[in-house]
Amino acid sequence: MIPLSIKATAPAGDPFVVRLSLESGGAVGNAGSHDEREAWVASRSDGTTLCRTAGGMDFALAGVDPNEIEGDVLLVVPSRGLAHRLIRARSSHNTFLVTERCDQLCVMCSQPPKARHVDMFPYLEAAALLAPQGARIGLSGGEPTLYKDQLLGFLERTAEARPDLSFHILSNAQHLEAADLPRLQRLRHVPILWGVPLYAGRADVHDSVVGKAGAHRRTIESLALLCRAGAAVELRTVLLKENLVELPALARLIAARLPFIDVWAIMQLENIGFGRKNWDGLFVDNSLRFSEIAEALSYARSRGIETLLYNFPLCTVPERYRRFAPRTISDWKQRYLEGCEGCAERRRCCGFFEWYPEGRGFAGVTRL
Amino acid sequence: MKPLPLRFRQLPSGLLLFVDDAGGFFTSTPEFLERYALGTLKDSDCSFLLEDGHAYEKQDDAAYTAFAFRWAGRRSTRRTLDYAILVPTLRCDLTCGYCQVSRAPAHARQFDWSDDVCGRVLDHLDRHAADQIKIEFQGGEPMLRLDLLERVRTFCRQRFSLSQFVVCTNLQSVSPEAWDFLEADDTFVSTSLDGDIATHRRQRTKSAEATSMFFSNLDEALRRLGVGKVSALPTIDIDNPPDPASLIEAFEARGLTSISLRPTNHQGFARRKPAAPGSSRRWNAYHSDFVETLIRRNFASGRRTEEYYLSHCLRRVLRLGADRDVDLRNPSAFGMDYVVIDHDGLIYPTDEARMLARIGMIDLSIGSVVEGLDAEKVATLNAAALNDFEPDCVHCAFQPFCGSDPIDNISRCGRIDAPKADEWFCRRQTSVFDKVFELLYRSDEATRFSLAAWLDVPDWPAYGAAVHA
Repeated sequence: MIPLSIKATAPAGDPFVVRLSLESGGAVGNAGSHDEREAWVASRSDGTTLCRTAGGMDFALAGVDPNEIEGDVLLVVPSRGLAHRLIRARSSHNTFLVTERCDQLCVMCSQPPKARHVDMFPYLEAAALLAPQGARIGLSGGEPTLYKDQLLGFLERTAEARPDLSFHILSNAQHLEAADLPRLQRLRHVPILWGVPLYAGRADVHDSVVGKAGAHRRTIESLALLCRAGAAVELRTVLLKENLVELPALARLIAARLPFIDVWAIMQLENIGFGRKNWDGLFVDNSLRFSEIAEALSYARSRGIETLLYNFPLCTVPERYRRFAPRTISDWKQRYLEGCEGCAERRRCCGFFEWYPEGRGFAGVTRL
Repeated sequence: MKPLPLRFRQLPSGLLLFVDDAGGFFTSTPEFLERYALGTLKDSDCSFLLEDGHAYEKQDDAAYTAFAFRWAGRRSTRRTLDYAILVPTLRCDLTCGYCQVSRAPAHARQFDWSDDVCGRVLDHLDRHAADQIKIEFQGGEPMLRLDLLERVRTFCRQRFSLSQFVVCTNLQSVSPEAWDFLEADDTFVSTSLDGDIATHRRQRTKSAEATSMFFSNLDEALRRLGVGKVSALPTIDIDNPPDPASLIEAFEARGLTSISLRPTNHQGFARRKPAAPGSSRRWNAYHSDFVETLIRRNFASGRRTEEYYLSHCLRRVLRLGADRDVDLRNPSAFGMDYVVIDHDGLIYPTDEARMLARIGMIDLSIGSVVEGLDAEKVATLNAAALNDFEPDCVHCAFQPFCGSDPIDNISRCGRIDAPKADEWFCRRQTSVFDKVFELLYRSDEATRFSLAAWLDVPDWPAYGAAVHA
C-alpha cells in the first residue's frame, strides 16, 4: 500500500503546506507560482531527509525515499509529527478529505463519519494551487456540501487561478438547493464531475441504505438541479444484497428521469469501515449471480447511458461484460492476489482492494 | 400529476404505440387511449406515466427536467462547419447506368478544380470551420486528382487539431502513389460493392477485366488498410434487387459487417429513367426482408452484421444525439455544419442538391467559394428543415425520431411542401420506424441477438421496451 502520510519533525508552530523538490530551484517550471511554499531536499542520511522551505525553515522526513515523493504537496503538521501527502505528484488519485461529518449513515460507508470537524479548506486551497499541471483533484468526506459555501468558494477561486485543473466531488447531494443555481451555473465550464450515490429507484430502499428518511427524494431533486446547472454527474450505485434486484428498475428510472447524467457507475463493495463490519449482510458475489447487473447495464447502455462497472475484478464478470469494467481502484489501496500472477488480463483489471477479504469474497476468482 | 402530450400509432397486434414529444415510448391498449383522451386515468396509469417519464408533478422537478433534456437532446444543434464533401473532379473512368453523382468522361476538360478554386476551397474551410474537420472526397473519381487530395489533406492536417479524410472511390485503378496516400492513419476508403461478382459487373464495371480489377483492388485495400478503414455500399436496383443472402455473403466474405442499402438514386443521371410505380412499397418490402435475413443469419453464425440505416434508426429511437448522419436529423439544417463544394467551386447544401443542379432541374447552390454563402437561399431552404410544425408530422408517432428531406421533395414532387404521405422520404421513414418498433417488441432470441449487436450492448433485455397493460 502506498503511504499517504510520512513521519515528520518540524519546529513547533502551525501546520504548513509545501511542495517538495529534490534540489533548490527544482521548482522552476512547476505549475502555479508560490515561491514561499516551495521546499527542497537539503540533505539525506540514514533514512532521514532534511528539507528546507523557501522561508528558511528546516523540517525532516523519516522513512521515505525523497525520489518517491518529488513534486508532492505536503501538509506538515508539527504537533502531530506528520506530513500528509495532500497531492502525490505521480498519482492520478488525489483526494482531499473535506470533512468527516455526514448527515447520512450508509450501511457500507467506507469512511464512517465523525462528529468533529476540522476546517481544512485553507490548506486544501493552498495545496490545489501547487498541484501538477492538469491534475484532477477529488473532494470527498464525510459530506463536502455540509460546508457548501466554502466548497463553492474553493472551486471558484481554484478554477480561476488554475484553469488546467479538474475536480471530482463525492457528494450525497442533500444540501444543494435552487438558491445555489446561479453559483453552480457559473461553474459550468469548470471540469467538475459530481459523484452522487443513488442506490435504488424505490425511495424506501435508498433511504434504508443511507439511513435517512426522505434522502431519495432530495437526491433526485438535486440531480435535476445539477442538470439545470449544466453540471456533469457520475451516478454511483454500490452493489448490495439490499438493492441487487432493484437494479433493472433503477436503470429504467435513470433512462426516463435522469438521462442527463454523464456516467452510471455500478460499484463493487469495499471491505472497510461499515462495509467490513456488515460484509456478510451486504456483499453480492457477482461471479455467482450477474443477471440483474447484466440487465441493468444492457438496458441503460441501450438508451445511450454510459454505464460502467467499477471495482469489478475482470474474472468475476462474464466475458461479454468485461469491456465495461475499467481499472478503477485507486493506486494506494489496490492490490492483486497471488492467483493473479500470470493472468492475461491483469494489466486491464482493477484488481482488488487492499482490504479485500480472501475466503469471504468472490467464488469465481480465476486466472484468465 | 400532469401527463405529457402523447402521439400514438396503431400496431398490427391491435395495441397502440404511444410516443411523447421527446421520444419516450411504450405500448398500451385502446382502453388506455380512451382514459388518456377523456382524462379518466387510473392510479396505475398515473404511476406508470410518472415512472416512465411521460408525466411530471411540478415544473422543474426531475421528470420535467429530464423531459426537457430529452426533448432538447433530439434537436440537432450543430452549426459550425466540421464536415465537407469536396468534388475536386467530376471526371470518372466508369459509366454506371444509374450514376449517383453525375460524371464527365475521364479525359474531358474543365471538370476539375483549377488552382485558384482549390485555393479558395481551402480558404473557405479555413474561415468557416472550427478546429476539427471531416473531409469526404467525392467525384467523379477523386483519385484521378491525387495531387488535389494531397493538397487538401496537407492543409487540413496543419490547420485542424483533428482531421479525417474519406476517399469515395470506385477502386478501378489504384496507382502505387494512391496506395501510399490511402495508407495514412487519418484516411479512409469508401467504395461501392453491389453484391456478388455478376451483380457488380452488370451494374457497374461491365467488362470482365474491369470487374476483376475492382475486386482485386478491394481485396488489396482490405489487406493493406484493414477492414476498419474500408467501407463499401451496395446500390440496389429496385426493379432487379439481388437476393439478400448473396449480397450479405459478398460483404461478410470480406469481413465487412456494415451494409448500407441504397436504392438507385432518384437524382443524378438515374433520374432520367422514371421510377416504376409502387417503387417505395417494393423498396420497403425488400429492406424489411433484408433485415429479417440478417437476423436469421446473425443468430446462426454469431456474426453482428448490420444494415446501417436500420440500426441507425434503431439508435435514434432509443438514444439522444444520434444525429451525425446528415440524412436524418431535425432540424435538417443546411449550409451549417456541412457543405458540398463542387468541381467549379459552387457550394451545395447536399450531394443530392448538387445532382439536381447538374441535370439542369433546379439550381440549389447556396453560394460559391468566391462569393461565400448566400444567406437568403440558406434561410429559404432551412424554413423547411424542421419537422416539428409540419401539418403531417405533428401527430406522427415517429416525428421525434425523424427528420425531413426538402431536397428530395423538390426532386420528386417539384415542390418543397408536398403532402408527406406522397413523399418517398416519409414512406421510407415510416416503414423503417415500423420495422424498428416491430423488432423492439419481439421476444425471440434471434431478434434479441441482432438488436444487442446493432446497439453494441451485451444483451437486449427481455423487457427492453416498455409495455403498459
